Amino acid sequence: MLPARPASTLLLLLAALACDAPLHGTEYDPASPAPTLELTGAERIFRLSDHRDTTVLLYFGYTHCPDVCPTTLTDWAKARRILGDRAARVRFVFVSVDPGRDTPALARAYARQFDSTFIGVVANDDQIARLRRDWGVAVFTQGDPRSPDYGVGHPSRTFIVDRRGRLRLTHSPGTTPQMIADDVRNLR
Amino acid sequence: MCATCAEAMRRAVLLLAFGALACGSAEPPARRAPTLVAHDAWARSADSGGTTAVYLVIKNTDTVPDTLRAVRSALAADAGMHVSMDRRGTMQMVPVRSLAVSGRDSVVFRPLATHVMLTGLRASIGAGDLLSLTLEFTSGTTLAVPVTVRQP
Repeated sequence: MLPARPASTLLLLLAALACDAPLHGTEYDPASPAPTLELTGAERIFRLSDHRDTTVLLYFGYTHCPDVCPTTLTDWAKARRILGDRAARVRFVFVSVDPGRDTPALARAYARQFDSTFIGVVANDDQIARLRRDWGVAVFTQGDPRSPDYGVGHPSRTFIVDRRGRLRLTHSPGTTPQMIADDVRNLR
Repeated sequence: MCATCAEAMRRAVLLLAFGALACGSAEPPARRAPTLVAHDAWARSADSGGTTAVYLVIKNTDTVPDTLRAVRSALAADAGMHVSMDRRGTMQMVPVRSLAVSGRDSVVFRPLATHVMLTGLRASIGAGDLLSLTLEFTSGTTLAVPVTVRQP
């Protein structure tokens, strides 16, 4: 049996298809170009601008982080598997903001524990100063910095830059792998 | 040191750490039958000298409340309870000095929340390894909890 108003129903369906799927993360409105980002990699400088035409997920943490960082990177790894072939145009970048303990090689090895395609880099003190200024993030030492086990306060959210280089979205810790994959797919 | 020797050394450290705690669990019995049970304990793999978190469930089967006052592991230079807190977009870890376990209740240590942090690991731990965590309660009860290591 046809709906009572087939024409209006069809229009509504078409309108729904034309709209962008809602995103799970918190959107920047309006989206604007992501601030410049240059970080120290084991082999080369990581420049965000070199990764146009890919979606870039950025997490600022540290390798001694016992809980939130590995949880987030574990969720990223699951999201990457959900994305399948689509993941080829996505970069997952772990940025250590603990240059006192983390070397670029350590950050790379740490990121690759979770997925061999993950990028691990380190922000040095100057780069951390620029992160604070340009990205508006807080980074600070917790506890005695002379102790080998000091903590680091770091941004809680994942930053997502779209293929046009615009800062589009953040994800809070605990965003599920399926939600991460959905948002990466649905970013226009 | 050859890779085989290093692995043997790592296993020896893990065994010693576990053995030490197993001996530790042979302390005088608690004043009553055990009413505190810990289960589903796991940790992520980590390198020697590094840091990891342990997650678990502690169940109090008695009506009498108790309080977890200390955690330790022979595998780590230091151990403590923390809670991860998101404060205005910045993630911080806040130390937890003690944790009440109400009667007929459970407390859950889970990712992005309360966890046990082990620092200064004396050996690397990989998936499938087993380490031991000791929980000390104000009642005098001490639990030696086997912790399964998983991939990060």
